[in-house]
Amino acid sequence: MMNKIKSSMYPISFALGFIVLWELAVRLFHVPVYLLPAPSAVIEVMDGSLSSHMLVTLTEALAGFVLANILGMITAVIFVHSKSIEKGAFPLAIALKTTPLVALAPLLVVWMGTGYSSKVVASMLICFFPILVNSVKGLKAIEHEAWELFSTYKGTKAEIFWKLRLPTSLPYVFSALKISSSLAIVGAIVGEFVGANKGLGYVVLVSSYHMDTPIMFSAIIASALCGLLLFWGISWLEKKVVFWQRADDL
Amino acid sequence: MAKQEQASVSSMNEIAVTLKNCSLSFGDVPVLNNVSLDIYNNEFVSILGPSGCGKSTLLRLMLSLLQPNAGGEVKLAKDLSIGMVFQKPVLMPWLTAIQNIVLPLTIGEKRFSKKEARDKAEGALRLVGLQDFTNHFPHQLSGGMQQRIAIARALAADPAVLLMDEPFGALDEFTREKLNFELLRLWESPDTSLSTVVMVTHSIQESVIMSNRIVMMSPRPAGVDAIIPVPLPAHREVGMEELPEYHHTVNELRKRVKHL
Ligand SMILES: Nc1ncnc2c1ncn2[C@@H]1O[C@H](COP(=O)(O)OP(=O)(O)O)[C@@H](O)[C@H]1O
Ligand SMILES: [Mg+2]
Repeated sequence: MMNKIKSSMYPISFALGFIVLWELAVRLFHVPVYLLPAPSAVIEVMDGSLSSHMLVTLTEALAGFVLANILGMITAVIFVHSKSIEKGAFPLAIALKTTPLVALAPLLVVWMGTGYSSKVVASMLICFFPILVNSVKGLKAIEHEAWELFSTYKGTKAEIFWKLRLPTSLPYVFSALKISSSLAIVGAIVGEFVGANKGLGYVVLVSSYHMDTPIMFSAIIASALCGLLLFWGISWLEKKVVFWQRADDL
Repeated sequence: MAKQEQASVSSMNEIAVTLKNCSLSFGDVPVLNNVSLDIYNNEFVSILGPSGCGKSTLLRLMLSLLQPNAGGEVKLAKDLSIGMVFQKPVLMPWLTAIQNIVLPLTIGEKRFSKKEARDKAEGALRLVGLQDFTNHFPHQLSGGMQQRIAIARALAADPAVLLMDEPFGALDEFTREKLNFELLRLWESPDTSLSTVVMVTHSIQESVIMSNRIVMMSPRPAGVDAIIPVPLPAHREVGMEELPEYHHTVNELRKRVKHL
């Protein structure tokens, strides 16, 4: 516990030092507010409306993230059990990954409108690939001897899946969850850029139109916070679920 | 001791596993070349040979994880149950010691109820002296303890034959010697159904101190180069490394290794 507090002291004091320097620099050199607002000016504009926009973005991202995980894992299970489906569908998944989301987002808005669903799908699309790839890798990562152990005792395919493949894949799945937790926010915000009337992406866009840099900064910081919240949540869950894996093993 | 006497009376010459003219190739690579070998009940056999010659492959044949090429035959005594200990412990890191031992008892044919499996697993943990670590996870245990759990897992299913693939290869000298004699005691013990052990090892000393017979394999494609009986007393004890028979056998094996 003592160590934990000590180790979090460093990043906290660095962040505080950075904010103080920033504030001082802006005041000392009279930087115009439309270029770089002082931290105090940014904090001033952070209000209830910002947190409600944050909640919108977080909801969209979380929904896309969860859906992508479910879909990605199911697809991975199918791939692992059928070589021909994997061979046929994997190139499609790669094509989907290489298509820039920014190019797809306007289409999503045309199809689904400016409400939640276009952002949820945008965030789902961007999260899907890492989950799929890592789940496939994890499900295949069983040790040959472990497989032989199950075969020696006549374990069925289902038993090998539930008692060996699935738990073996969990560390891989969690490392993908951490990657896609920050991607999920990117997806939601890109969707909001294209067409929305709420959410952090919308706030960034509107404030840039009005040259309202403090609001813009507040929305940028809020979106970073969304990503951090998701990441921390996943890391906490990872420690509970994959307790046998030390952080430096993967 | 009981098992030894019983052995000398009748069942010593009952065959547990027979390999007849077994050859095996992986693709174009011949690994085993016409191996014929009988393993008898109540004996402790070691298999020695250069690394990569096909010793593990030979054990996998006995386990029916691999099939010999056409013409070869692997025959097991009727209703023979076989246990396997791999070179690595192969424990599931998400299961506790006891859960790891229960696992093979509750898959496949599911010969045991949950309660029976649990009782058997507890018994097996006691046999290897780890009853105080029932609920520990593998990462909380040393390498030697992990390998003992792997042995307990194999014993819990009451095998008559135990196949071991360099089971102590990854352990330090002290742990290794300790486990050598623990294994011999388990093999002799009337509390286990275990009657026959086939152990792959790369240590000449280990093979001599532990086994009744030593099977020397030739380099790949491996055949049986020689089968050497060990003229040490049936009940092995620490200190028998001082006996002239021990040195004699070790020297003979060394000479053979040089000529391979
Ligand atoms: N599944 C496999 N596929 C192809 N080659 C294999 C396979 N298993 C083992 N071999 C090869 O067969 C030879 C014998 O292997 P192995 O039985 O593991 O040797 P040993 O246990 O005596 O060290 C080695 O050359 C190894 O590379
Ligand atoms: Mg081997």
